[in-house]
Amino acid sequence: MSEVVEAELGHLEHHEEEANDRTLFGFWVYLMTDLLMFSVLFACYAVLHGNINGGESGRQLFEMPLALAETLILLTSSFTCGIGMFMARQGKKTQTLFWFAITFILGLAFLTFEVREFAKFIGEGHSLHGSAFLSSFFVLVGTHGLHITSGLLWMGTTMAYTVRRGLTTHIVRKLSLLSLFWHFLDIVWIFIFTIVYLGAVAWPS
Amino acid sequence: MAELKPEHGTLQAYITGFVLSLIFTLIPYYLVVHHTFSGRALLITILGFGVLQMLVQLLFFLHIGRRPRPTWQIHFLNATVGAILVVVGGSIVITTNLHHNMMPTEQALKLVNDEGIYQVNGEKTGACQGQYPNHQIIIKDGVATPSFISAKQCDTLTYITQDGRPNDIVFTQDAKTASYAGVASYSVRKGQNQTITLSELGTYQFHDSAQPATAGSFTVSN
Amino acid sequence: MSVKELLIGKLNWEALPHEWFTIGGTGFFFVIAIIIAVYLTRTKRWTWLWKEWLTSVDPKRIGIMYFIAGGLMLLRGGLDAIMIWLQQALGSSNMHGVLGAQHGYLTSDHFQQIFTAHGNIMVFFVAMAFVFGLINYIVPLQIGARDLAFPFLNSLGFWLYIGGVVMVNMFFLFGGQYAATGWLAIAPLSGREFSPGVGVDYWIWSLQISGIGSTIGAINFIITILKMRAKGMKLSMMPLFTWGSLFSMLMAVTVFPLLTATLFLMFFDRQLGTHFFTTTAGGDPMMYTNLIWMWGHPEVYILMLPAFGVFSEVVSTFSRKRVSSYTSNVLGMAGVSALALSVWLHHFFTMGASADVNAFFGVMTMIIAIPTAVLFFTWIATLKGGRIRFETPMLWFLGFVAIFTIGGLSGLILAIPPADFQLHNSLFLVAHFHSNVIGGVLFGIFAGINYWFPKIAGIKLNERIGRQAFWCWIIGYCLSFIPMYVLGIMGATRRLDHYDASTGWQPLFIMMLIGGIVIAIGTALQLAQILASVIQRKRLYDTTGDPWGGRTLEWSVPSAPQSYNFTTIPEVSSRDQFWKMKQEGLPEPAYEDIHIPHNTAAGIYISLFAFLAGFGFVWDIIWLIVVSLVGILVVFIRRAYNENSEYTLTAAEVRSREATRKEKIAAQRKEALAAADEEELSLWGLIKLVLAYGLDVVRKRKWRTW
Repeated sequence: MSEVVEAELGHLEHHEEEANDRTLFGFWVYLMTDLLMFSVLFACYAVLHGNINGGESGRQLFEMPLALAETLILLTSSFTCGIGMFMARQGKKTQTLFWFAITFILGLAFLTFEVREFAKFIGEGHSLHGSAFLSSFFVLVGTHGLHITSGLLWMGTTMAYTVRRGLTTHIVRKLSLLSLFWHFLDIVWIFIFTIVYLGAVAWPS
Repeated sequence: MAELKPEHGTLQAYITGFVLSLIFTLIPYYLVVHHTFSGRALLITILGFGVLQMLVQLLFFLHIGRRPRPTWQIHFLNATVGAILVVVGGSIVITTNLHHNMMPTEQALKLVNDEGIYQVNGEKTGACQGQYPNHQIIIKDGVATPSFISAKQCDTLTYITQDGRPNDIVFTQDAKTASYAGVASYSVRKGQNQTITLSELGTYQFHDSAQPATAGSFTVSN
Repeated sequence: MSVKELLIGKLNWEALPHEWFTIGGTGFFFVIAIIIAVYLTRTKRWTWLWKEWLTSVDPKRIGIMYFIAGGLMLLRGGLDAIMIWLQQALGSSNMHGVLGAQHGYLTSDHFQQIFTAHGNIMVFFVAMAFVFGLINYIVPLQIGARDLAFPFLNSLGFWLYIGGVVMVNMFFLFGGQYAATGWLAIAPLSGREFSPGVGVDYWIWSLQISGIGSTIGAINFIITILKMRAKGMKLSMMPLFTWGSLFSMLMAVTVFPLLTATLFLMFFDRQLGTHFFTTTAGGDPMMYTNLIWMWGHPEVYILMLPAFGVFSEVVSTFSRKRVSSYTSNVLGMAGVSALALSVWLHHFFTMGASADVNAFFGVMTMIIAIPTAVLFFTWIATLKGGRIRFETPMLWFLGFVAIFTIGGLSGLILAIPPADFQLHNSLFLVAHFHSNVIGGVLFGIFAGINYWFPKIAGIKLNERIGRQAFWCWIIGYCLSFIPMYVLGIMGATRRLDHYDASTGWQPLFIMMLIGGIVIAIGTALQLAQILASVIQRKRLYDTTGDPWGGRTLEWSVPSAPQSYNFTTIPEVSSRDQFWKMKQEGLPEPAYEDIHIPHNTAAGIYISLFAFLAGFGFVWDIIWLIVVSLVGILVVFIRRAYNENSEYTLTAAEVRSREATRKEKIAAQRKEALAAADEEELSLWGLIKLVLAYGLDVVRKRKWRTW
């Protein structure tokens, strides 16, 4: 390759790398704002979880094995997402798609369990306007569920673009943002699991 | 976060992180579900494991630790954690304090009846309604007469002093300083009597904190 | 659900304007819109507007659009203020009410909506807009960058702000009522039980949409400042306005998510019947106050820190000295920012926390005065020994010193819980925060605009009228707000639409109204200042790019910089790099290829959908909500996966543009020379000119050919 073209490519690569760096940093800061939003929901849950308005408390409502199952599913999906990212950085398109597909399925399973849990509560008459406890439970866990849903939508879209365009630098960047998002959702879930589900049994209101 | 050339190390990191996270999930789960212990200690333990798992995932899934370190990201994460502690911790502290002071009337009355508190800071809480007999203790020349009173719950007791100097009446129970019905001491002066409602059962001793010889006791029964 | 409800939700004929102020307001907006539309059509400028401005991702363009929008909203918020002053002046007498009001001329409910709107508009849609406009324009120039880190998100953030602006004015057309709860809509008054109409819903969504825009903007600014500084510019070499902006945006990124979450919770309470802040079923209204002030207090520092930065720049330039104790100045700003998240309870000392909790927050509030004082001392130290020039920016700084100090001192009084128990929610409080916001934020913005106007528009501002505007503002402020302190101490409660005539306070309220009118005159003079400057532009051309003898990099580029800011990014080796360059010789111009982001309409479309979704939430129009949310997703995804968002300006093109610019500057210099002997236009001179032009138009029927 001629010197000029090499210099051009080097210049472009540097440009790309800087943009990549900035995008990841910017997305990280966005994740921090998302964590702060969740902190408000956690604060409300901490303050209001004892206000059961004569209804049932978390201890009576929550099923521990279900919560554990959801936690393990999400944890595994975070792991498979990491593997998928590992493959993407190596440029292995099929492997990447495979591992993200597993992540997608696990995420979908998590959502299904959660929706069924919600439906069960609502069916038994414990809906989100029954008490402050129920409101804060549904909104905290529901917001996490909405984030998971967005993540799945994002995953599906990115996988579709990957199939069409291959693993371009642009797509790999999008995937690293997505995996960052997904890992953070699992970290938030750790605290939901600990404070909401385990907390209901460990620290009855 | 700069790109790393793919290594076995990274794959290793994911697997290690996954296994550790599994462990840090299962331990608190079993601790809680099998009611090994309870209370504040348990809450702190499971929170501790949660924080541990978060660190594991930050280290092994998000590669925070590996070089080149993403210093700015770490700063932002630390700052965010600090802010979260302020938001959540501050809210809990403030609202607990507010609830304690601003408790709605129904809840307060329920507490009053459950714990037999009939007056707070000299103000009647609304219980012990009705007319009840009154007892009097007169302090003269540093001597309280009568030195012992036997009363029924909800009776009233009036301290009257005919001495020039004011008396500061404090209570003890079994030689330990106690407060009576939520009040630690009463000030009695000539012309200014103090009446208390004998809402709490038990035997109490009282004395003037400046002049312990001025003393007596009373028993409240139902 | 009936078909009508499915189609248009809660909308009905009564929602359309049918009261004097809704008809007036809607009519006014329509007239303005029609005038603009006619003008654009006649001058065939629709495409130009779309291409050059609306879809632009150039932070300089976006900055100017923020100024224009913020300026218009300042007029709207100011009108609200005059209405409040008038009501209180009339309502504090025995006079019987007019226009259907019991006292004064506004009904209680209407009055409550006006002061709510006034607060919201001034904080969210004026102050934030001006701050974001300044940062957008000036920070990239100061740090030697061509653009922000995320140009598309910059445009998106601006358009979300506009979405909020439209939403906060939408009630004129549909619904006829705004929130009547005070600017922060405290629960449970703002809950569905006590505010059943659509007013609070408009409140929620205007703040929510623009709040998300602010969060996005804050992230953008932070990454830009941390990652896009010119080579060699360490953090310790950054200009102080950039530092102020950085701290402000760090606070913003921390607390705006809290606002977003709290607004959602309030929305859920109203829409879904949850019990976060209700008085029944275990809800806790005090939690709302707690959360909203966790955002609300840092917000005022978010507005203030960039103003502090402006003052640092202005004091230095107009004392012809570099800032004394740069480090102390930065540490002062850092101290304020760090402590900002530790004082919020001082807004609700009287809500019932016990003495030790109140004492803690009272002490923390007082401690914040210390880093603020440090800042003042660095400015005073800069003034000392300098050769001070009393041009308008310096006047605004001096006015700030006087007024902000009064505000700060009254804040220290309020920080003492027992004193606050007397003064909370009195007019003393209102005077305190207006002193800080007007004296601090607004004067800072005015100083910044006067200081950087030559850079932005290429012409200096008329000094004469500028000075007159300043004096009107200061005198108006004193007439308005000093009596307010007095009234507060005498026991006047805030937010009342009338005060009993027996208090004898009416003369003071009339004085405040006069003060308000003087401020309005001051604002008119500021507009006149701009007009006079444009008329006399030949005399006022800034042909050097450095009209004040500046020290920082923004003065190293020609005024009204090219879209790419710099032909090559300068290398920086010290603070006040431009000053150093002027001493050691300016570098030779060099040319290189420049990557410029394409314009995009995606920001406009996403905001349009966001607005429509918010409108759907307000009126329960479910299909509109769904369609709009889907629309947001689709536009966003398409934009995110668009890999062709930049084009390249070759070095040759840059060279030719610079050459053209040089010719233009040379021509301007000639014109400036010819106009140098013109006397600076006075206010009376301007009025005469405008009248003469108007008469000319009428006599010669010129409108036919417009």
